[in-house]
Amino acid sequence: MMRDRLLAGAMSPDAIRCAVDSGSGAEDELSLFEPAEFDPNAGERGGYSNYSYWRSTFRVFLKNRVAFGFLVLLVALLAFTFIQPMLPGQRNPTKIHIDPATGMQFRNVPPGKEFWFGTNTIGQDLWSRIWSGTRTSLEIGLLVGIAEMLIGISFGAMWGYVRRLDAVVTEIYNVINNIPTTIILMLLAYIMRPSFKTMVIAMCATGWLGLARFVRNQIVIIRDREYNLASRCLGTPTRRIIMKNLLPYLVSVIMLQTALSIPGTIGWEVFLTYIGLGLPVSIPSLGNLVNEGRQIMMSPELRYQLVFPTIVLSLITISFYVLGNAFSDASDPRNHV
Amino acid sequence: MLLYTLKRLAQSIVTLFIVVTAVFMLMRLLPIEGYFGDGYDKLSASQREAVLHKMGMLDPWYVQMGRFYGGLLHGDLGVSSIYRKDVPVLEVIGPRVPYSMRFGIAATALALVAGLGMGVSMAKHKGGILDKVWTGYVVLVNAVPLAVYLLFIQLYGTSFFKLPLLFDKYRPESWILPAVSMSLGGIAGYAMWMRRYMVDELNKDYIKLARAKGLSQSAIMVRHVMRNAYVPMAQYLPASILMTISGSIYIESLYSIPGMGGLLVDVIQRQDNPMVQALVLIFSSVGIIGLFLGDLLMALFDPRIKLSKSEASR
Amino acid sequence: MRSPTRQTLATTCKDNVMAQGDPIIQAKDIIIKFSLRGRTLTAIRGASLELYEGETLAIVGESGSGKSVLTKSFIGMLDQNGWIDSGTVSFEGRDLARLRSERDWLAIRGKKISMVFQDPMTALNPLKTIGSQIREVFELHHGMSGKTADHAVIEMLERVGIDNPHERHRQYPHEFSGGMRQRVVIAIAVACKPRVLICDEPTTALDVTIQAQILALIKALQRDLGFTTVYITHDLGVVANVADRVAVMYAGQIVETGTAEEVFYDSRHPYTWALLSSLPQQGIKGQLLYSISGTPPNLFNTITGDAFAPRNPKALRIDFVRQPPMFEISPTHRAATWLLDSRAPAIDPPPAILGMRAKLGGAKLGGGVL
Repeated sequence: MMRDRLLAGAMSPDAIRCAVDSGSGAEDELSLFEPAEFDPNAGERGGYSNYSYWRSTFRVFLKNRVAFGFLVLLVALLAFTFIQPMLPGQRNPTKIHIDPATGMQFRNVPPGKEFWFGTNTIGQDLWSRIWSGTRTSLEIGLLVGIAEMLIGISFGAMWGYVRRLDAVVTEIYNVINNIPTTIILMLLAYIMRPSFKTMVIAMCATGWLGLARFVRNQIVIIRDREYNLASRCLGTPTRRIIMKNLLPYLVSVIMLQTALSIPGTIGWEVFLTYIGLGLPVSIPSLGNLVNEGRQIMMSPELRYQLVFPTIVLSLITISFYVLGNAFSDASDPRNHV
Repeated sequence: MLLYTLKRLAQSIVTLFIVVTAVFMLMRLLPIEGYFGDGYDKLSASQREAVLHKMGMLDPWYVQMGRFYGGLLHGDLGVSSIYRKDVPVLEVIGPRVPYSMRFGIAATALALVAGLGMGVSMAKHKGGILDKVWTGYVVLVNAVPLAVYLLFIQLYGTSFFKLPLLFDKYRPESWILPAVSMSLGGIAGYAMWMRRYMVDELNKDYIKLARAKGLSQSAIMVRHVMRNAYVPMAQYLPASILMTISGSIYIESLYSIPGMGGLLVDVIQRQDNPMVQALVLIFSSVGIIGLFLGDLLMALFDPRIKLSKSEASR
Repeated sequence: MRSPTRQTLATTCKDNVMAQGDPIIQAKDIIIKFSLRGRTLTAIRGASLELYEGETLAIVGESGSGKSVLTKSFIGMLDQNGWIDSGTVSFEGRDLARLRSERDWLAIRGKKISMVFQDPMTALNPLKTIGSQIREVFELHHGMSGKTADHAVIEMLERVGIDNPHERHRQYPHEFSGGMRQRVVIAIAVACKPRVLICDEPTTALDVTIQAQILALIKALQRDLGFTTVYITHDLGVVANVADRVAVMYAGQIVETGTAEEVFYDSRHPYTWALLSSLPQQGIKGQLLYSISGTPPNLFNTITGDAFAPRNPKALRIDFVRQPPMFEISPTHRAATWLLDSRAPAIDPPPAILGMRAKLGGAKLGGGVL
C-alpha cells in the first residue's frame, strides 16, 4: 500500500507531497522522517536565466502607451503619404487651378469641399502639395539618414576599434566640430547652388560625423570593458565579440540616432529654404510650404496655408522623436526592471 | 594647475590655427561673382581677371594665405565688396556685436534659470505629472523644427500679447519675443541635461550614504546633487555665452534685429565674399575660445582634474 | 537512535547574552517582496530576529540569501520596487515595518540606526571635503554649527584614527586610501551616537591587514560609545573575530541563531554544517575541498518545505513537504530543521563538524546530551 511504497523509498518528493496532502495518517507521517533520495541535479535547478534582452526591450517599449500611440500614428501617416497619389480624385501638386467660369486662378481659396486644404496664393491645391511636399522631405530625410548611418557606422567603428587611428582622427574631429553646422550647411548650399542633390549631399556631409563620433565613443567604452577583456582571455574570436557583445547595444543606439536625424533633416531643410538656399519652388517640400505660409501668416483668413503644412510636419517630427527616445529608453537594460 | 592651463591654451591655439586655415581654404571655393557685386556682368573677362589680380586672388595659395594671416594679425579682415562697398569688414561688423550679445546673454540667463529649474523639477517628480508635462515641452521644442515653432511664437506673440512684430531699439517690449524665442531651445537642453545628470547621480553610492545619514530627499538634491552639477555645467557655460556673439541667425532675421546672425544671412544672400569669410571666421573662433575657458573653469571647480589628464575629446 | 529535542547547554552561553532584557530590535515573520520584470520575487520569506542591547550580532549567508535586504528594511532603504509585505519590526515602541513617510525615517536614520556600507571608494561625495561630510551629520541631528561643529568633526576624526585631523578634515576623499575612507564612513555613521550600527560587509572591499584594523576600530567604538552592532558578512573569519551572536540566513529565512560558540561548535542546521565544512581551514591535505553542490533556489517561485533540501544529501522526506519550524535547543540557540524533531532519526553531522565539536570539548556541552 502507500506505506509500503514510501518505506521502499520508491516515491519522488513530489509524489510524497501528494500523498501527505491526501491525508495519509499519522503512521505514514512518521515515515516522512526517513532520509530522502538525494538528486544532485535538483540543486542546480535554481537560477534566473530566462532573461532575453530583446524580449524585455519590446515588452518595456510596448508598455509605453504614448510611444505605441505615436507608432501607430506614424505608420498611418507614412502609409498615407505614399498611397495618396494612387487614391481617386487627387490632383497634381503643381497644377494651377483655374476657375472655368471666370478664367481666374483659384487663389487663396479656404479649405472646403472642393479643395480639402484650400489653395495657395497662385491657385495650387494645398492638399496635394502638402502630401507631395511630405514625400519629398521624407525622401531627403530617409536618404540622408541611411547615408549617415552607413558612412557614420563604418567610419566610427574603424575610428573606435583601430587604436592608432584614434588620436589623429579625434584631433581632426575637434577641429571640424568647432565650425558651426549652420555655417557649413549654408556655405555648401551657397557654393553648390540649391537643388535636391545639394541638400542631400550637404546634410550628409554635416550629419555623418555626429553618428561616427557616437559609434566611436560606444566602441571605445565597450572595447575595454572587463567582460570583453574576459571574452578575449577566454579565446573568443574578435568577430564573435563584436557580434554578441558590441553590436546588440550599438544597434539600438544607432536606430535612435537615425530616428532623430529625420526630424533634424527636415528642420534644416526648412531653415535653408528660409534663407533662400533650399529647394527651388517648383519642387514642393515641407520647407517651401512653410515658408510660403510664413509670408502670409499675418492675415488670419490665410493662416491655414501655414497651419496645415506645420501640423503635418510636426506630427511627423514629433512621432520620430518620441519613438526614437522611447526605443532608446526601452533598450537600456536598467529599465528592464 | 598652471601646467594644465598652458597645455589647454596651446591645444586651443593649434585648433584655432587649423580651423582658420580650413575656413580660408573653404572660402576659396566661393563663387567669384561675389567679389564683383553688380559689376560682374558689365566687365569683360580680361577686366575681371585684372580686378581679381588686383585683389590678389590669382596669386598662389600660399601667398594668399600669408597675406591673409598678415592681415589677420593686424586686425584687418578685408573689405566688404557688396554689402557696404569698400568699407572695412570690421567696421561693418562692429556695431552689430552688442545687439547679438545682449540678446544672447539675456537668452542664456533665462535658459539657465528656467532650464535648470525645470530639470530639477523633472528629476524630483520623476514619472509624475510634472515630469510628463515638462517632457512634453522638451519634445515639442526638440522635435518641431526651430524654424517652425518660432513662426508661431511670432504669430501668437504679436496677436495675443500685442507685442511688436519687429525689433525696435526704442521700444523695450520688442526685446521680449526674440529673447524668449532664443531661450526656448536652451531651456529644453538644460532641463534634459539636468534631469539626466540628477537621475544618474541619485543612483550613486554616496547618495545612499547621504540617505542613511538621515538627509531628506530635498536636502540631498540641493546639497549634494545640484552642487555637484555645477562642475560639468561649468564646462559648457563659457562656450554658450561666447557663442551668443554669433547670434541666432534665424531669430535675428525673423525679427530684423541688427545683429551678427542677421548680417550673415544678408551677406550670403548678397554674395559678399569677404564678409562671409570674416563672419565664418569669427563664428568658428568663438566656439574654440569658449571651450577653452570652459575647461579652465571646470578644472577650477573639480579637485580631481588637476591631478589627472583630461580626456581627449568631448 | 533518536536525537533529543531539547538539549540544554547550561553553561555555554556568554554572560552578556544571558543577561538580556528585552531586545531593542525585534523582527517577527518579515516577508519582503520585490516587483521585478513583471513578476514578484519574495526576497525574505518569514524571518525573525532579535537584537539585544550592547551585543554584536553577525548575520551570515551567501550572496542572495537576503542579509542586506533584511537590514535595509530596518532603516527604510529598500529599493523602490520592494516592500514589506507582512511582519513587524519593533524598535523603541514603534513598528518600523509600518513607517511610510520619509519624515518618520529621517528621525531614525543616522540618529538611532546607522549604516556602514561596503565600498568605501564610492561611498563619499567626491566633490566635498570629508570634514564637511561629517559635519553634515552634526548639523542635521544635533543642530551644531560653526566652531562647535568643527570641534566635533575633528574629535570624531581622532576617534577613528585619522592622524593630523586639523589639516586632513579639509581634504577630499580621493586623497585618502580605502581603509582611511572606511574610517571616515564609520565616523559619519557613529557621529551622532546611534543605538544600532549596521555594518554591511564593511571589510569585504579592503585588504586583509586593514580588515583587522577596521574591525578593531568598530569594537573599540562600540565599547566607548555604547551602541549595538550588526555585521552582515559572508566571511566566517570576521564572524569568529567579533560576533557575540550569529544568525545564519538562507534563501530569505533565518535558519539558525545562537551564540557564536553554539553556532560554530554545536551547529544543528544542515546548511550551517555545509557552510562550516566549506571553510578552507577544514580542508584535509590531499583531499578535495568541500563545497556545497547546487545553487540557491529561485525566489520567484514558491518554495515548498525546507529551501535547503534539494542541496542537502542528508535531507528527510518531510523536508520536501513542509517547512520546518524553529526548534529551540537552548534559550539562546534555535535552528529550523526537521532533524531536531523528536521523530527524526539521529543523523550525524559531517566529519568536519564532528571535529569541531570535539575541539570544543565535551565539558562545554554540559549535561543532558544523550
